[in-house]
Amino acid sequence: MRHYETIFIVNPNLSEEDYRDVLNKFTNMIEKQKGVLVRVEEWGTQKLAYVVKKFDKGLFVLMNFCGMPGLAAEIERDLKLDDRVLKYQTVKLADKVDPQELVLKEKEAKEKSAIEEDQSLESTETARKEEQKESMGEVSTNG
Amino acid sequence: MADRGRRKVTYHRRKICRFCADSSLMIDYKDPRTLRLFTTERGKIIPRRISGNCAKHQRMLTVAIKRARKIALLPYTTSTLK
Repeated sequence: MRHYETIFIVNPNLSEEDYRDVLNKFTNMIEKQKGVLVRVEEWGTQKLAYVVKKFDKGLFVLMNFCGMPGLAAEIERDLKLDDRVLKYQTVKLADKVDPQELVLKEKEAKEKSAIEEDQSLESTETARKEEQKESMGEVSTNG
Repeated sequence: MADRGRRKVTYHRRKICRFCADSSLMIDYKDPRTLRLFTTERGKIIPRRISGNCAKHQRMLTVAIKRARKIALLPYTTSTLK
């Protein structure tokens, strides 16, 4: 299986429902075509570097997936036909990959980031406390 | 004449490839913030002789910038925008 990454830009004026519809359409399509969806990232509304179809903003969606060689072409064709999609781009990341491995790695990365977030929260809290202590000390010495 | 001779002696600050020096700095077409450091205000790619990148990383960088341009994360040019 090949490893691909597709970014597409959706019309920002769509309702939440329509946006979900577009998103589900393409994520489901991968699974229907016997591909494996590794990761979907929704970047939300972002400013475009140049005007695309008279829009200066767009909803960015990134799909990271594995599939047989024909899959990317089919998805690109559908992206082209869908007029809710302003722009799209597919990049091949690797020729031969084991999709299960990637999914596992993705899970691990998610767990790790979750743990790190917890830790960073804790560390900021402790840092704040220390700062408070320091500031208190300064005040007392100044006084 | 003496001046001319002196002028030839210019100081060269050895430029270092930033991607070789800092392995945590990744070249990724999805990261326009980093890529923007290597483009001019007009959106042109800064040449290697100025940025000091090594050949390998400059190659990767140009590909990344071109990909970012295609998906509207970086501008091709700024002249069309006000």
